[in-house]
Amino acid sequence: MAETQEQPKSFQLSLDWLAVLTAVALALVVKLGLIHKVPW
Amino acid sequence: MAEGALALPQVRTASPVSRFIKLIPGVLMLAAIGYLGKFIEQSISAYAKASHLHIPNIEYVLWAILIGLAVSNTIGIPAVFRPGVATYEFWLKAGIVLLGSRFLLGDVLRLGGLSLTLVVLELAIAFTLMTLLGRWFKLKPKLTSLLAVGSSVCGVSAIIATKGAIDADDEDSSYAIAAILAIGAISLFTFPLIGHWLHMSDRAFGMWAGLAVDNTAEATAAGALYSDAAAKIAVLAKTTRNAMIGFVVLGYAIYWASRGQAQAVGNKAAFLWQKFPKFVLGFLLVSILATAAVFNKEQLGSLANLSRWAFLLTFAGVGLKTNIRELKAQGLRPFAVGAIGEGAIALVTLGMVMVAATAFNL
Repeated sequence: MAETQEQPKSFQLSLDWLAVLTAVALALVVKLGLIHKVPW
Repeated sequence: MAEGALALPQVRTASPVSRFIKLIPGVLMLAAIGYLGKFIEQSISAYAKASHLHIPNIEYVLWAILIGLAVSNTIGIPAVFRPGVATYEFWLKAGIVLLGSRFLLGDVLRLGGLSLTLVVLELAIAFTLMTLLGRWFKLKPKLTSLLAVGSSVCGVSAIIATKGAIDADDEDSSYAIAAILAIGAISLFTFPLIGHWLHMSDRAFGMWAGLAVDNTAEATAAGALYSDAAAKIAVLAKTTRNAMIGFVVLGYAIYWASRGQAQAVGNKAAFLWQKFPKFVLGFLLVSILATAAVFNKEQLGSLANLSRWAFLLTFAGVGLKTNIRELKAQGLRPFAVGAIGEGAIALVTLGMVMVAATAFNL
């Protein structure tokens, strides 16, 4: 039986990492005080 | 996880700058609809206060979803907005990672451990039930597998992941996706009503929504419709459920391969890693940073608010991606199997959460 071929990186997969990187970058921006206070 | 019917094929071949520019109109549309929802909530609340009227508060979440639904099902989404509207799942995941700042690691481990126990029970019940219903309604076996995965783990993403792993038809996966999306939309509105009717605590309701509502966006929205605290727990429980996706897809891949109807899985560890939702790691990282007191109180407030803004865009996207006509066009049988199965899963998980709420003081 043929083995599953490595599937091409889906949008889904890169989307996860992009979301993580964006969120961590935002957290860093807040930590460094570049954004003083985010209102809601 | 949810990503709905809006894919991004039209931006795949363009340059990164061109792709980014094409996202802007749709993202602005998400922001405008989300903010309009918030504006309506605040305006009604201010009017009620000024007029000394007692008007029940309708959360911005519901307004954003309803406006999105109205746009999507009347004028539709013009092509120029579609790539940006499809980013709602990106905002959802970024919002979940930022939400990690509102959990101490101890809470994550305690509630996550409890969620994991309930998720394992839910998975066993959901698979058994959906498989029996699929046979009873004489659905194609692979369509039944897709519906079982969609209803037990995490909705549309799980169906797409499983479709590739078990070589299911496009038609089967579009049926299963339509059924799961329709049921997710119904759950989003009915769960908070049931929760209020049963006077469930925020934590218990959040746990139930996270366990039983399909698609992370809908589970988050159902929690947020109940309360901010419920949304927080719903995200944690749903994230635990999402983390199981690799194991479930692997199980189905091995099952169908053993019957000679799918390709065998080579490196199982690599397969699990490939299917694992990476934003869960981001959520844990931010939770660890918050537990280690890397952020002060004001910074934690800012991160929580950034998470709320990200969810605001997500909720607008939930409404916009739900097209009732398209869902109706997919036929009744898969929907019936999904609806009966989901109804039963919702009842069983409600019972489990009620017991856990008493035992663990949720």
